[in-house]
Amino acid sequence: MLKSAVGNWFLSNGWSVFDFQREVWAAYARGESGLIHSATGSGKTLAAWLAPVIAHTGKQSETLPLTVLWITPMRALAQDTRLSLEKPIREMNLPWTIGSRTGDTTSAERARQAKRMPSALITTPESLSLMLTQADAQEQLQHLECVVVDEWHEMIGNKRGVQVELALARLRRWRPSLRTWGLSATLGNMAEAMSVMMGTAGGGHIVEGIHDKKIVIDTLLPSGGEPFPWAGHLGFAMLGEVADEIEATAKAGGSTLVFTNTRSQAELWYQALLAAKPDWAGAIALHHGSLDRDVRNYVEAGLKSGMLMAVVATSSLDLGVDFSPVARVLQIGSPKGVARLLQRAGRSGHAPGQISRVTCVPTHAFEFVESLAAQRAASAGKIEARRPVSIPLDVLVQHLVTIALGGKGGNKGFEHQALLDEVRSTHAFADLTETEFDWALDFVTRGGEALHAYPEYQKVVNFGDRYVVNDGAIGRRHRMAIGTIVSDASMDIRYMNGARLGHVEESFVVRLSPGDAFTFAGKTLELIRVREMTAYVKPAKKIKNLVPQWAGGKMPLSTQLAESVRGVLEDIRQSRAGDAVPPEIAVIERLFRVQRAMSRIPARDELLIEQIETREGYHLYFYPFAGRHVHTGLAALFGFRLGQLTPATFSFTVNDYGFELLSEIPFVLSRGLLDGLFSSDKLLASVLQSLNAAELSKRHFREIARVAGLIFTGFPGAGKTHKQLQATSGLIFDVFAQWDRGNPLLAQSTREVLERELEFQRLQDVLEAMRHQRMTIIRSDRPTPFAFPLMVARLREKLSTESLSDRIARMQAVFEKVA
Amino acid sequence: MSSMLPIEVAGESLLLHAEKAVFWPRESTLFVADIHFGKVAAFRRAGLPLPPGSTSAALDRLDRVISDTDTKRIVFLGDFLHNRAARAEQTFARFAQWRAQHAAIDIALVRGNHDAKAGDPPSEWRINCIDEGELVAPFCLAHHPEPAARGYVLAGHIHPAIRLQGRANDGLRLPCFWFGQSVAVLPAFGEFTGTYTVKPKVDDRVFVAAEGRVVEVSGLIGRS
Repeated sequence: MLKSAVGNWFLSNGWSVFDFQREVWAAYARGESGLIHSATGSGKTLAAWLAPVIAHTGKQSETLPLTVLWITPMRALAQDTRLSLEKPIREMNLPWTIGSRTGDTTSAERARQAKRMPSALITTPESLSLMLTQADAQEQLQHLECVVVDEWHEMIGNKRGVQVELALARLRRWRPSLRTWGLSATLGNMAEAMSVMMGTAGGGHIVEGIHDKKIVIDTLLPSGGEPFPWAGHLGFAMLGEVADEIEATAKAGGSTLVFTNTRSQAELWYQALLAAKPDWAGAIALHHGSLDRDVRNYVEAGLKSGMLMAVVATSSLDLGVDFSPVARVLQIGSPKGVARLLQRAGRSGHAPGQISRVTCVPTHAFEFVESLAAQRAASAGKIEARRPVSIPLDVLVQHLVTIALGGKGGNKGFEHQALLDEVRSTHAFADLTETEFDWALDFVTRGGEALHAYPEYQKVVNFGDRYVVNDGAIGRRHRMAIGTIVSDASMDIRYMNGARLGHVEESFVVRLSPGDAFTFAGKTLELIRVREMTAYVKPAKKIKNLVPQWAGGKMPLSTQLAESVRGVLEDIRQSRAGDAVPPEIAVIERLFRVQRAMSRIPARDELLIEQIETREGYHLYFYPFAGRHVHTGLAALFGFRLGQLTPATFSFTVNDYGFELLSEIPFVLSRGLLDGLFSSDKLLASVLQSLNAAELSKRHFREIARVAGLIFTGFPGAGKTHKQLQATSGLIFDVFAQWDRGNPLLAQSTREVLERELEFQRLQDVLEAMRHQRMTIIRSDRPTPFAFPLMVARLREKLSTESLSDRIARMQAVFEKVA
Repeated sequence: MSSMLPIEVAGESLLLHAEKAVFWPRESTLFVADIHFGKVAAFRRAGLPLPPGSTSAALDRLDRVISDTDTKRIVFLGDFLHNRAARAEQTFARFAQWRAQHAAIDIALVRGNHDAKAGDPPSEWRINCIDEGELVAPFCLAHHPEPAARGYVLAGHIHPAIRLQGRANDGLRLPCFWFGQSVAVLPAFGEFTGTYTVKPKVDDRVFVAAEGRVVEVSGLIGRS
């Protein structure tokens, strides 16, 4: 009966119901949960949404109480999701109301919701946690039947995912029959992704959606015959070709999305495109996470309506809103990972049945290899996994205060055993020991072991057998600080009249003096002065560009892509003159000819080491092809171990293919010496020592201190009144390191640095492989094409951009004579 | 190696102590800026669980400076108490005990911005509270580092630190004594106080306290 209503609605829109959608509805009707794995734009939103809608159809005509929670990772998506959920309700005239509660929700709407919740509420992980701090949270959620977790692949690998897990555990305790449906793009570990969402109770099944959606990955090839640069990061060699693509797409009535890897690269490409095509002013735009929200909204609206012919963007546009006019997606520079590239491809051809296509635009020669490697990995289904976070005590500390705030009367807060059981029902805390839980509880009630004698510390208090927050000021501060998203300390950028342009890392601004110019928001600006946390600027007259060095651009090549790169190299190694080669390889054929002549192309199971002596000193080049994080760890480790044999100072440079060690004294690379370098003996301790891990942990501690509520960031607009409660995370780290060394949050900081910044597990695997690999040591009198990018990267730190590009061109000309 | 470095300022000899204090031998006076007493306690009261220890550590360091000198008088150059919430029992008891051990020392406090909010210390501590601008020729005692016509200003407030540039990406930031034309800024004495990186002018002299001694770095730093 209802199904026929839904069927008719599909028909009236000219659509047909997909099998996977029927599968979801049937499973939901049986009371089951699950994870829907389907391509973007294939109808998975309707699959999840119509399941509870169908379950209620025909049963009642009164407006439903809060029945469905829809969790989205981006509040900017809430409005769009709301429209997609409202369409079938309105057109089928069903008794559902739909609302949203995010950081953008007005206080008027909040007040309406306090009186009566909508039947379906769209919210973010942060806003959901905030709801749990309310006195009437349980009453408001008592009719809940279904939680939909949208874009689960975006949350599983980080602490926001843990925040969602903890909230789900609470909701399931209140509503044991609760069904959870996740929506996810392709991951290398779908089964694990679902079990993380479901927690220790298990259950659920993966519904495979539509996968015959055609995704094309290809490479933009240079039109001219000039040799392609072997190194460099700006890569404007293809600027003309990119402009031609944008123009051709616009003529066919579509828009182009130009993705870059960093914000500074986005700024540069936007400016370069405008310089090449001045009449495009107003027709192309820039989008990245540092720009003011209003600017981004404007750009998104322009992209949606088709008014903009192109937008240069960073990962800020990876997710979210459906930009139907986008017909072309270009990826400038290395794709870094397969899943990421597929996601970006999905921004074009969004509607079912259309082809999604992404075209890689190499900025230097090796990126042709990466592009080809990405195509192969994607068609072989080699997609990266996102590993879930395990036992993050900072999130637990935050959650304890959140739960201690919620509820009312005799139901306020929590009991020890009940909450321990609830927390342990999540995947993240399944192995939480009672000691760890008790530490976290002690930390929020008495400040941990170190604070027992200090009665002035009272955050959570023990009240009978319950733990609650009674202090109103502590509650307000905690609500302000809920969440796990931590950005770098940033400064507003404003014109003198107060107009806000966006924000930029504080560490960048402090390097500038008044009068210095820099590029931001597509404009060249001059710093006038810095007051409080605001940098005041005016349009710059002199042309002296200095682009912000934003963090986040140093993403490593994924294991899957690195593996595939080695496969491509193996093919090149085995190819004979006259063999047909892919066009990507033909373009840079000369590079490999020179590499072969000067050194060799390593086989898949071969470790290539090159030794070169220059006026600068003795260079060692290693090529494990394991991504920059692992190479950073290996370079520091090798430098440290060599330095223990012979006192010597090393400088090192890394990229995604290998690393360089430069010393003032020569080393004879005997087998014995190399075995010592690759040894697993005291590996962890040596890596920690060699990289000054204390300093890394201290820097990383910022995130943990923020999540665990050790840093109070202040109320918006409260200005100086709370200054006396502000301290930097570095200062807090020092205090803990000196007076409470056993604090588990310090150990967590070190662990997270090892996992995220060094990929220690991968480093161990790579080192293990190196011990068994065939090794070839090549002595050369000049850097080879493989060594060239590393050498250039080191020089870049010493030279200005102009003189560097001149120098690169000169060096490359010399090398090419070899071929 | 001595933990004190003698310098000439405004025609007077001063000793810079590595524990971040300045001693004036002619008047047997010790200058200490920004001790921010009770800051950690104030954080705890606000629900930020910081471990104790810094209060005692600061007083232990003060003892070390006193035993290295013949201090008869201490002038705190402002921000003695962090704020009202710093008035925690343990913290106060610890200071009262310290004061009893040093009953013969004359103590003055130049009121700073934090003291204005935190209120004067308890009278039984016998701390003579004065406003900024008091002259002990040739020095003008202050908290805020602003030039005064009456004398060479000794001040604190900004918790100065200096950035020393090593090899690529090998920078180092250290608390410093900063002596300008007419104003000197002392480093913050307190344990949990943070720093602000300053950009000295061409003729300014800058000293850092590191590894138990004081070193002049005037020649090693970039200038504004």
